[in-house]
Amino acid sequence: MRIRVVSLAAVVLALMAGMTGFAQSQAANAKSNATSASKVPRTPWGDPDLQGTWDYRTITPLERNRELGTRAFYTDEEKKALEDRAGKRMDTAPEKITPGLNHAQWWTDPGRFVSDGNRTSLVVDPPDGRIPALTAEGRARQGRAPNRNNAVNASWLDRGDQERCITYGLPSASLPTLYNNNIQIVQAPGTAVIVHEMIHEARVVPLDGRPRLNDGVRAWIGDTRGHWEGDTLVVETTNFNGKHSYRGSTTNLHLIERYTRVNDKRLELRLTVDDPTTWEKPWTVLLPMRPTEGELLEYACHEDNRSMFDILEVARDAEKAGAKGQAPSNPGPVDDRQER
Amino acid sequence: MEKLRVVLITVIVAVSASSSLRAHHSFAAEFDANQPVTLKGTIVKMDWVNPHTWIHLDVKNPDGTVTRWMIEGGTPNTLVRRGFTKKSVEAGTEITIQGYRAKNGANRANGADMILPNGQHLFLGSSGTGAPKDAPDGQK
Repeated sequence: MRIRVVSLAAVVLALMAGMTGFAQSQAANAKSNATSASKVPRTPWGDPDLQGTWDYRTITPLERNRELGTRAFYTDEEKKALEDRAGKRMDTAPEKITPGLNHAQWWTDPGRFVSDGNRTSLVVDPPDGRIPALTAEGRARQGRAPNRNNAVNASWLDRGDQERCITYGLPSASLPTLYNNNIQIVQAPGTAVIVHEMIHEARVVPLDGRPRLNDGVRAWIGDTRGHWEGDTLVVETTNFNGKHSYRGSTTNLHLIERYTRVNDKRLELRLTVDDPTTWEKPWTVLLPMRPTEGELLEYACHEDNRSMFDILEVARDAEKAGAKGQAPSNPGPVDDRQER
Repeated sequence: MEKLRVVLITVIVAVSASSSLRAHHSFAAEFDANQPVTLKGTIVKMDWVNPHTWIHLDVKNPDGTVTRWMIEGGTPNTLVRRGFTKKSVEAGTEITIQGYRAKNGANRANGADMILPNGQHLFLGSSGTGAPKDAPDGQK
Protein backbone atom coordinates (compact mmCIF):
# COMPACT_ATOMS: atom_id res chain seq x y z
CA MET A 1 0.00 0.00 0.00
CA ARG A 2 1.74 3.09 -1.19
CA ILE A 3 -0.52 5.63 0.36
CA ARG A 4 0.82 7.18 3.51
CA VAL A 5 -0.86 8.64 6.50
CA VAL A 6 -0.62 12.39 6.45
CA SER A 7 1.73 13.49 9.16
CA LEU A 8 2.01 17.15 9.98
CA ALA A 9 3.97 16.71 13.16
CA ALA A 10 7.23 17.79 11.54
CA VAL A 11 5.60 20.86 10.05
CA VAL A 12 4.08 21.86 13.34
CA LEU A 13 7.29 21.33 15.27
CA ALA A 14 9.18 23.45 12.78
CA LEU A 15 6.60 26.18 13.05
CA MET A 16 6.66 26.08 16.82
CA ALA A 17 10.46 26.18 16.93
CA GLY A 18 10.46 29.41 14.96
CA MET A 19 7.80 31.04 17.03
CA THR A 20 8.98 30.80 20.56
CA GLY A 21 8.70 34.53 21.06
CA PHE A 22 5.27 34.63 19.60
CA ALA A 23 4.27 31.71 21.75
CA GLN A 24 5.31 33.60 24.85
CA SER A 25 3.18 36.58 23.94
CA GLN A 26 0.34 34.25 23.12
CA ALA A 27 0.74 32.59 26.50
CA ALA A 28 0.25 35.98 28.11
CA ASN A 29 -2.94 36.40 26.12
CA ALA A 30 -4.10 32.96 27.05
CA LYS A 31 -4.93 34.01 30.56
CA SER A 32 -7.20 36.81 29.41
CA ASN A 33 -8.73 34.51 26.82
CA ALA A 34 -9.38 31.98 29.52
CA THR A 35 -11.39 34.44 31.54
CA SER A 36 -13.74 34.97 28.62
CA ALA A 37 -13.54 31.41 27.45
CA SER A 38 -16.74 29.70 26.53
CA LYS A 39 -17.02 25.94 26.52
CA VAL A 40 -14.93 25.82 23.37
CA PRO A 41 -11.88 23.67 24.04
CA ARG A 42 -8.60 25.59 24.13
CA THR A 43 -5.08 24.88 23.04
CA PRO A 44 -2.37 25.06 25.72
CA TRP A 45 -1.57 28.58 24.48
CA GLY A 46 -5.19 29.71 24.79
CA ASP A 47 -6.58 29.72 21.27
CA PRO A 48 -9.86 27.95 20.52
CA ASP A 49 -8.94 24.39 19.62
CA LEU A 50 -10.30 23.53 16.17
CA GLN A 51 -7.88 20.70 15.60
CA GLY A 52 -8.96 17.42 14.17
CA THR A 53 -10.16 15.89 10.96
CA TRP A 54 -13.57 17.06 9.82
CA ASP A 55 -16.09 15.45 7.50
CA TYR A 56 -18.32 17.69 5.40
CA ARG A 57 -20.16 15.11 3.33
CA THR A 58 -23.77 16.08 2.72
CA ILE A 59 -26.52 15.46 0.21
CA THR A 60 -27.72 19.04 0.49
CA PRO A 61 -26.79 20.65 -2.82
CA LEU A 62 -24.62 23.74 -3.02
CA GLU A 63 -27.40 25.70 -4.71
CA ARG A 64 -31.08 25.37 -3.95
CA ASN A 65 -33.15 24.01 -6.77
CA ARG A 66 -35.18 26.79 -8.32
CA GLU A 67 -38.38 24.79 -7.88
CA LEU A 68 -38.01 25.21 -4.12
CA GLY A 69 -38.04 29.00 -4.47
CA THR A 70 -37.36 30.73 -1.19
CA ARG A 71 -37.89 27.62 0.89
CA ALA A 72 -34.67 27.35 2.94
CA PHE A 73 -35.54 24.16 4.82
CA TYR A 74 -36.86 20.72 3.98
CA THR A 75 -39.69 19.34 6.02
CA ASP A 76 -38.79 16.38 8.22
CA GLU A 77 -40.63 14.12 5.77
CA GLU A 78 -38.62 15.44 2.84
CA LYS A 79 -35.40 15.10 4.76
CA LYS A 80 -36.22 11.50 5.61
CA ALA A 81 -37.13 10.68 2.03
CA LEU A 82 -33.91 12.20 0.72
CA GLU A 83 -31.75 10.48 3.31
CA ASP A 84 -33.47 7.14 2.76
CA ARG A 85 -32.79 7.47 -0.93
CA ALA A 86 -29.15 8.43 -0.36
CA GLY A 87 -28.72 5.56 2.10
CA LYS A 88 -30.20 3.10 -0.34
CA ARG A 89 -27.82 4.36 -2.98
CA MET A 90 -24.88 3.76 -0.68
CA ASP A 91 -25.98 0.45 0.77
CA THR A 92 -27.37 -1.49 -2.15
CA ALA A 93 -26.16 -2.45 -5.57
CA PRO A 94 -27.42 -0.17 -8.32
CA GLU A 95 -30.53 -1.46 -10.05
CA LYS A 96 -28.89 -0.71 -13.34
CA ILE A 97 -25.46 0.43 -14.35
CA THR A 98 -25.48 3.83 -15.93
CA PRO A 99 -22.95 4.01 -18.75
CA GLY A 100 -20.79 7.05 -19.02
CA LEU A 101 -20.74 8.07 -15.41
CA ASN A 102 -17.34 9.41 -14.54
CA HIS A 103 -17.34 7.39 -11.39
CA ALA A 104 -19.29 4.26 -10.68
CA GLN A 105 -21.56 4.25 -7.67
CA TRP A 106 -19.18 2.19 -5.58
CA TRP A 107 -16.35 4.62 -6.15
CA THR A 108 -18.07 7.47 -4.43
CA ASP A 109 -18.75 8.60 -0.91
CA PRO A 110 -20.86 11.74 -1.11
CA GLY A 111 -22.65 11.24 2.18
CA ARG A 112 -26.13 10.34 3.21
CA PHE A 113 -27.35 13.23 5.34
CA VAL A 114 -29.12 16.48 4.68
CA SER A 115 -27.17 19.40 6.11
CA ASP A 116 -27.89 20.47 9.68
CA GLY A 117 -31.20 22.20 10.18
CA ASN A 118 -32.74 20.55 7.08
CA ARG A 119 -31.21 23.16 4.80
CA THR A 120 -32.18 22.99 1.13
CA SER A 121 -28.93 24.58 -0.01
CA LEU A 122 -25.45 25.17 1.32
CA VAL A 123 -25.60 28.71 -0.05
CA VAL A 124 -27.27 30.75 2.70
CA ASP A 125 -26.66 34.17 1.21
CA PRO A 126 -28.23 35.39 -1.05
CA PRO A 127 -31.48 34.20 0.52
CA ASP A 128 -32.56 32.40 -2.65
CA GLY A 129 -29.79 29.89 -1.99
CA ARG A 130 -28.29 30.47 -5.43
CA ILE A 131 -24.91 31.77 -6.55
CA PRO A 132 -25.52 35.32 -7.82
CA ALA A 133 -25.62 36.14 -11.51
CA LEU A 134 -22.44 36.80 -13.43
CA THR A 135 -21.54 40.39 -14.09
CA ALA A 136 -21.54 41.60 -17.68
CA GLU A 137 -17.77 41.23 -17.62
CA GLY A 138 -18.08 37.73 -16.21
CA ARG A 139 -20.54 36.74 -18.94
CA ALA A 140 -18.32 38.15 -21.66
CA ARG A 141 -15.34 36.28 -20.27
CA GLN A 142 -17.33 33.08 -20.13
CA GLY A 143 -18.26 33.54 -23.78
CA ARG A 144 -14.60 33.80 -24.74
CA ALA A 145 -13.56 30.72 -22.78
CA PRO A 146 -12.41 27.83 -24.98
CA ASN A 147 -14.90 25.02 -25.39
CA ARG A 148 -13.08 22.17 -23.75
CA ASN A 149 -15.77 19.74 -24.85
CA ASN A 150 -14.02 19.79 -28.20
CA ALA A 151 -10.57 19.23 -26.74
CA VAL A 152 -8.37 17.17 -29.02
CA ASN A 153 -6.15 16.19 -26.11
CA ALA A 154 -3.03 17.09 -28.04
CA SER A 155 -1.22 17.19 -24.72
CA TRP A 156 -1.81 17.07 -21.02
CA LEU A 157 -2.25 20.83 -21.21
CA ASP A 158 -5.67 20.23 -22.75
CA ARG A 159 -6.84 18.57 -19.58
CA GLY A 160 -8.08 20.23 -16.40
CA ASP A 161 -5.99 21.11 -13.37
CA GLN A 162 -7.80 18.47 -11.34
CA GLU A 163 -7.11 15.69 -13.82
CA ARG A 164 -3.49 16.80 -13.92
CA CYS A 165 -3.36 16.64 -10.13
CA ILE A 166 -2.14 20.22 -9.90
CA THR A 167 -4.88 21.45 -7.64
CA TYR A 168 -8.52 20.96 -6.86
CA GLY A 169 -8.62 24.72 -6.53
CA LEU A 170 -10.42 27.02 -4.16
CA PRO A 171 -13.11 27.15 -3.09
CA SER A 172 -13.70 23.73 -4.74
CA ALA A 173 -11.47 21.94 -2.24
CA SER A 174 -13.68 23.26 0.58
CA LEU A 175 -17.00 22.19 -0.92
CA PRO A 176 -18.65 18.75 -0.92
CA THR A 177 -18.05 16.59 -3.95
CA LEU A 178 -18.07 12.89 -4.86
CA TYR A 179 -15.41 11.79 -2.37
CA ASN A 180 -12.54 12.97 -0.17
CA ASN A 181 -14.81 15.36 1.69
CA ASN A 182 -12.53 16.00 4.64
CA ILE A 183 -10.21 18.64 5.98
CA GLN A 184 -7.69 18.40 8.77
CA ILE A 185 -6.84 21.38 10.96
CA VAL A 186 -3.58 21.56 12.89
CA GLN A 187 -2.67 24.52 15.08
CA ALA A 188 0.53 25.91 16.55
CA PRO A 189 1.05 29.25 18.31
CA GLY A 190 0.61 31.88 15.65
CA THR A 191 -0.16 29.45 12.85
CA ALA A 192 -2.91 27.15 11.67
CA VAL A 193 -2.67 24.60 8.88
CA ILE A 194 -5.68 23.49 6.85
CA VAL A 195 -5.16 20.25 4.95
CA HIS A 196 -7.64 19.55 2.18
CA GLU A 197 -7.99 15.85 1.50
CA MET A 198 -8.77 16.43 -2.16
CA ILE A 199 -5.37 16.59 -3.90
CA HIS A 200 -3.95 16.82 -0.34
CA GLU A 201 -3.14 20.50 -0.28
CA ALA A 202 -1.92 22.02 2.97
CA ARG A 203 -2.58 25.71 3.47
CA VAL A 204 -0.40 27.36 6.10
CA VAL A 205 -2.30 30.24 7.71
CA PRO A 206 -0.17 32.82 9.55
CA LEU A 207 -2.07 34.31 12.50
CA ASP A 208 0.61 36.78 13.60
CA GLY A 209 -0.64 39.81 11.73
CA ARG A 210 2.08 39.83 9.12
CA PRO A 211 1.27 41.85 5.99
CA ARG A 212 -0.04 40.25 2.84
CA LEU A 213 2.22 39.45 -0.04
CA ASN A 214 2.25 42.19 -2.63
CA ASP A 215 0.01 41.92 -5.65
CA GLY A 216 2.80 40.58 -7.82
CA VAL A 217 3.16 37.36 -5.88
CA ARG A 218 0.40 34.98 -6.83
CA ALA A 219 -0.32 31.30 -6.36
CA TRP A 220 -2.71 28.57 -7.46
CA ILE A 221 -4.38 28.56 -4.04
CA GLY A 222 -3.59 32.18 -3.27
CA ASP A 223 -2.03 33.82 -0.24
CA THR A 224 -3.69 33.26 3.09
CA ARG A 225 -3.75 35.22 6.34
CA GLY A 226 -5.79 34.53 9.45
CA HIS A 227 -6.90 36.06 12.71
CA TRP A 228 -9.26 35.33 15.56
CA GLU A 229 -12.58 37.09 16.01
CA GLY A 230 -13.73 35.83 19.39
CA ASP A 231 -13.70 32.06 19.10
CA THR A 232 -13.90 32.11 15.31
CA LEU A 233 -10.87 31.58 13.10
CA VAL A 234 -11.13 33.97 10.17
CA VAL A 235 -9.05 33.01 7.15
CA GLU A 236 -8.76 35.38 4.20
CA THR A 237 -7.25 34.36 0.89
CA THR A 238 -6.31 36.60 -2.03
CA ASN A 239 -3.50 36.71 -4.62
CA PHE A 240 -4.81 33.88 -6.77
CA ASN A 241 -2.89 33.41 -9.99
CA GLY A 242 -6.07 32.94 -12.03
CA LYS A 243 -4.85 29.77 -13.72
CA HIS A 244 -7.56 27.79 -11.99
CA SER A 245 -11.00 29.29 -12.24
CA TYR A 246 -14.02 28.49 -10.12
CA ARG A 247 -17.14 29.13 -12.20
CA GLY A 248 -15.39 31.93 -14.01
CA SER A 249 -13.54 33.48 -11.05
CA THR A 250 -10.42 35.52 -11.74
CA THR A 251 -7.32 36.76 -9.95
CA ASN A 252 -9.69 39.04 -8.05
CA LEU A 253 -11.16 36.12 -6.14
CA HIS A 254 -11.33 36.88 -2.42
CA LEU A 255 -12.30 34.15 0.03
CA ILE A 256 -13.22 34.59 3.66
CA GLU A 257 -13.52 31.40 5.68
CA ARG A 258 -14.89 31.53 9.22
CA TYR A 259 -14.34 28.39 11.27
CA THR A 260 -16.25 28.07 14.54
CA ARG A 261 -16.38 25.07 16.82
CA VAL A 262 -20.03 25.14 17.78
CA ASN A 263 -19.85 21.99 19.92
CA ASP A 264 -17.81 18.82 20.38
CA LYS A 265 -19.36 17.27 17.30
CA ARG A 266 -19.53 20.20 14.94
CA LEU A 267 -17.11 22.55 13.27
CA GLU A 268 -18.97 25.13 11.25
CA LEU A 269 -17.49 26.78 8.18
CA ARG A 270 -19.04 29.96 6.88
CA LEU A 271 -17.37 30.65 3.54
CA THR A 272 -17.85 33.91 1.68
CA VAL A 273 -16.82 34.03 -1.97
CA ASP A 274 -16.29 37.38 -3.62
CA ASP A 275 -15.03 38.39 -7.03
CA PRO A 276 -16.64 41.66 -8.12
CA THR A 277 -15.43 41.11 -11.68
CA THR A 278 -17.28 37.79 -11.84
CA TRP A 279 -20.42 37.86 -9.67
CA GLU A 280 -22.84 40.69 -9.06
CA LYS A 281 -22.45 40.28 -5.32
CA PRO A 282 -20.62 38.09 -2.80
CA TRP A 283 -22.18 34.79 -1.73
CA THR A 284 -21.87 32.72 1.41
CA VAL A 285 -21.96 29.01 2.13
CA LEU A 286 -22.70 27.45 5.52
CA LEU A 287 -21.07 24.05 5.89
CA PRO A 288 -21.27 22.12 9.16
CA MET A 289 -18.63 19.43 9.61
CA ARG A 290 -18.55 16.33 11.81
CA PRO A 291 -15.49 14.60 13.28
CA THR A 292 -14.13 12.23 10.67
CA GLU A 293 -14.17 8.56 11.41
CA GLY A 294 -10.72 7.08 10.91
CA GLU A 295 -7.61 8.58 9.49
CA LEU A 296 -7.07 11.06 6.72
CA LEU A 297 -5.05 9.20 4.12
CA GLU A 298 -2.81 10.99 1.70
CA TYR A 299 -4.51 11.49 -1.65
CA ALA A 300 -1.26 11.93 -3.57
CA CYS A 301 -3.11 12.31 -6.83
CA HIS A 302 -0.10 12.35 -9.12
CA GLU A 303 1.24 9.12 -7.68
CA ASP A 304 -0.14 6.94 -10.45
CA ASN A 305 -2.23 9.23 -12.58
CA ARG A 306 -2.69 6.54 -15.20
CA SER A 307 -5.82 8.23 -16.47
CA MET A 308 -3.76 11.01 -18.02
CA PHE A 309 -1.59 8.48 -19.81
CA ASP A 310 -4.63 6.56 -20.98
CA ILE A 311 -6.53 9.64 -22.15
CA LEU A 312 -3.58 10.78 -24.26
CA GLU A 313 -3.03 7.27 -25.58
CA VAL A 314 -6.67 7.09 -26.66
CA ALA A 315 -6.30 10.43 -28.43
CA ARG A 316 -3.12 9.35 -30.26
CA ASP A 317 -4.76 6.09 -31.34
CA ALA A 318 -7.72 8.07 -32.64
CA GLU A 319 -5.33 10.24 -34.66
CA LYS A 320 -3.69 7.19 -36.20
CA ALA A 321 -7.08 5.73 -37.06
CA GLY A 322 -8.04 9.05 -38.68
CA ALA A 323 -4.84 9.03 -40.75
CA LYS A 324 -5.79 5.60 -42.07
CA GLY A 325 -9.22 6.84 -43.07
CA GLN A 326 -10.97 5.14 -40.21
CA ALA A 327 -13.46 6.96 -38.09
CA PRO A 328 -11.60 8.35 -35.10
CA SER A 329 -13.16 7.73 -31.77
CA ASN A 330 -14.64 10.76 -30.13
CA PRO A 331 -12.24 11.95 -27.48
CA GLY A 332 -15.26 12.93 -25.44
CA PRO A 333 -16.10 15.90 -23.32
CA VAL A 334 -13.71 17.31 -20.80
CA ASP A 335 -16.54 18.30 -18.52
CA ASP A 336 -15.73 16.59 -15.26
CA ARG A 337 -19.17 16.79 -13.79
CA GLN A 338 -21.67 14.08 -13.34
CA GLU A 339 -25.14 13.95 -11.99
CA ARG A 340 -25.88 11.56 -9.22
CA MET B 1 -51.21 11.98 1.98
CA GLU B 2 -51.18 11.92 -1.79
CA LYS B 3 -50.24 15.59 -1.80
CA LEU B 4 -47.33 14.86 0.54
CA ARG B 5 -46.15 12.08 -1.76
CA VAL B 6 -46.21 14.41 -4.76
CA VAL B 7 -44.24 17.06 -2.87
CA LEU B 8 -41.64 14.50 -1.79
CA ILE B 9 -41.18 13.22 -5.30
CA THR B 10 -40.84 16.77 -6.58
CA VAL B 11 -38.19 17.56 -3.99
CA ILE B 12 -36.24 14.38 -4.66
CA VAL B 13 -36.30 14.90 -8.40
CA ALA B 14 -35.35 18.53 -7.94
CA VAL B 15 -32.38 17.68 -5.75
CA SER B 16 -31.28 14.93 -8.11
CA ALA B 17 -31.32 17.29 -11.04
CA SER B 18 -29.38 19.96 -9.21
CA SER B 19 -26.67 17.76 -7.74
CA SER B 20 -23.86 18.25 -10.15
CA LEU B 21 -20.67 17.04 -8.58
CA ARG B 22 -17.19 17.03 -9.88
CA ALA B 23 -15.03 14.01 -10.23
CA HIS B 24 -11.32 13.68 -10.66
CA HIS B 25 -11.15 12.68 -14.28
CA SER B 26 -13.30 12.31 -17.32
CA PHE B 27 -14.83 8.94 -18.09
CA ALA B 28 -15.65 9.87 -21.66
CA ALA B 29 -12.12 10.77 -22.68
CA GLU B 30 -10.81 7.40 -21.58
CA PHE B 31 -13.58 4.80 -21.66
CA ASP B 32 -16.32 3.94 -24.11
CA ALA B 33 -19.89 3.81 -22.83
CA ASN B 34 -20.75 1.84 -25.97
CA GLN B 35 -18.33 -0.94 -25.09
CA PRO B 36 -19.72 -2.58 -21.96
CA VAL B 37 -17.73 -5.61 -20.89
CA THR B 38 -18.43 -8.43 -18.46
CA LEU B 39 -15.23 -10.10 -17.30
CA LYS B 40 -15.05 -13.21 -15.17
CA GLY B 41 -11.56 -13.83 -13.92
CA THR B 42 -9.12 -14.37 -11.12
CA ILE B 43 -7.60 -11.49 -9.19
CA VAL B 44 -3.84 -11.31 -9.68
CA LYS B 45 -3.26 -8.23 -7.54
CA MET B 46 -4.74 -4.90 -6.66
CA ASP B 47 -2.81 -1.63 -6.75
CA TRP B 48 -3.90 0.48 -3.79
CA VAL B 49 -2.65 3.62 -5.40
CA ASN B 50 -3.74 7.22 -5.90
CA PRO B 51 -5.69 8.69 -7.52
CA HIS B 52 -7.50 5.44 -8.38
CA THR B 53 -7.05 1.81 -7.53
CA TRP B 54 -6.47 -0.80 -10.24
CA ILE B 55 -7.40 -4.47 -10.09
CA HIS B 56 -5.37 -6.84 -12.26
CA LEU B 57 -7.55 -9.68 -13.46
CA ASP B 58 -6.65 -12.84 -15.42
CA VAL B 59 -9.54 -13.74 -17.71
CA LYS B 60 -9.60 -17.16 -19.37
CA ASN B 61 -10.58 -17.04 -23.02
CA PRO B 62 -12.70 -19.73 -24.76
CA ASP B 63 -9.56 -21.08 -26.46
CA GLY B 64 -7.88 -21.61 -23.11
CA THR B 65 -5.52 -18.68 -23.32
CA VAL B 66 -5.49 -16.07 -20.59
CA THR B 67 -5.76 -12.31 -21.01
CA ARG B 68 -4.79 -9.93 -18.25
CA TRP B 69 -7.10 -6.99 -17.74
CA MET B 70 -6.75 -3.88 -15.62
CA ILE B 71 -9.89 -2.61 -13.93
CA GLU B 72 -10.04 0.91 -12.60
CA GLY B 73 -11.64 1.42 -9.20
CA GLY B 74 -12.31 4.14 -6.66
CA THR B 75 -9.75 6.07 -4.65
CA PRO B 76 -8.08 4.23 -1.75
CA ASN B 77 -9.59 6.72 0.73
CA THR B 78 -13.11 6.11 -0.50
CA LEU B 79 -12.79 2.34 -0.60
CA VAL B 80 -11.48 2.22 2.95
CA ARG B 81 -14.33 4.39 4.18
CA ARG B 82 -16.81 2.16 2.40
CA GLY B 83 -15.57 -0.83 4.32
CA PHE B 84 -13.38 -2.23 1.59
CA THR B 85 -10.07 -3.67 2.75
CA LYS B 86 -7.07 -5.46 1.31
CA LYS B 87 -8.73 -8.72 2.35
CA SER B 88 -11.72 -7.93 0.15
CA VAL B 89 -9.72 -8.63 -3.00
CA GLU B 90 -7.14 -11.20 -2.17
CA ALA B 91 -5.21 -12.70 -5.04
CA GLY B 92 -6.86 -15.85 -6.36
CA THR B 93 -10.42 -14.70 -5.74
CA GLU B 94 -12.70 -15.25 -8.70
CA ILE B 95 -14.87 -12.24 -9.45
CA THR B 96 -17.07 -10.87 -12.16
CA ILE B 97 -16.59 -7.31 -13.30
CA GLN B 98 -19.07 -5.27 -15.25
CA GLY B 99 -17.56 -2.21 -16.78
CA TYR B 100 -16.63 -0.20 -19.84
CA ARG B 101 -13.64 -0.84 -22.02
CA ALA B 102 -10.96 1.71 -22.87
CA LYS B 103 -11.75 3.60 -26.06
CA ASN B 104 -8.64 2.39 -27.80
CA GLY B 105 -9.54 -1.24 -27.25
CA ALA B 106 -6.80 -1.87 -24.71
CA ASN B 107 -7.50 -4.48 -22.06
CA ARG B 108 -8.44 -1.87 -19.54
CA ALA B 109 -11.89 -1.14 -18.20
CA ASN B 110 -13.67 1.19 -15.87
CA GLY B 111 -15.15 -1.01 -13.16
CA ALA B 112 -18.84 -0.29 -12.69
CA ASP B 113 -19.72 -3.26 -10.51
CA MET B 114 -17.98 -6.23 -8.94
CA ILE B 115 -19.68 -9.49 -8.05
CA LEU B 116 -18.33 -12.35 -5.95
CA PRO B 117 -18.92 -16.02 -6.85
CA ASN B 118 -21.79 -16.16 -4.33
CA GLY B 119 -23.50 -13.28 -6.09
CA GLN B 120 -22.68 -10.72 -3.44
CA HIS B 121 -21.82 -7.27 -4.66
CA LEU B 122 -18.74 -5.71 -3.15
CA PHE B 123 -18.27 -2.14 -2.04
CA LEU B 124 -21.61 -1.92 -0.29
CA GLY B 125 -22.13 0.19 2.77
CA SER B 126 -20.04 3.10 3.93
CA SER B 127 -18.84 4.91 6.98
CA GLY B 128 -21.13 7.36 8.68
CA THR B 129 -24.26 5.26 8.41
CA GLY B 130 -25.51 6.58 11.71
CA ALA B 131 -25.11 3.27 13.48
CA PRO B 132 -23.49 3.70 16.91
CA LYS B 133 -20.51 1.61 15.90
CA ASP B 134 -20.12 3.54 12.73
CA ALA B 135 -20.53 7.25 13.25
CA PRO B 136 -18.78 9.09 16.05
CA ASP B 137 -21.85 11.06 16.92
CA GLY B 138 -24.65 8.98 15.45
CA GLN B 139 -25.30 12.08 13.31
CA LYS B 140 -28.19 13.54 15.29
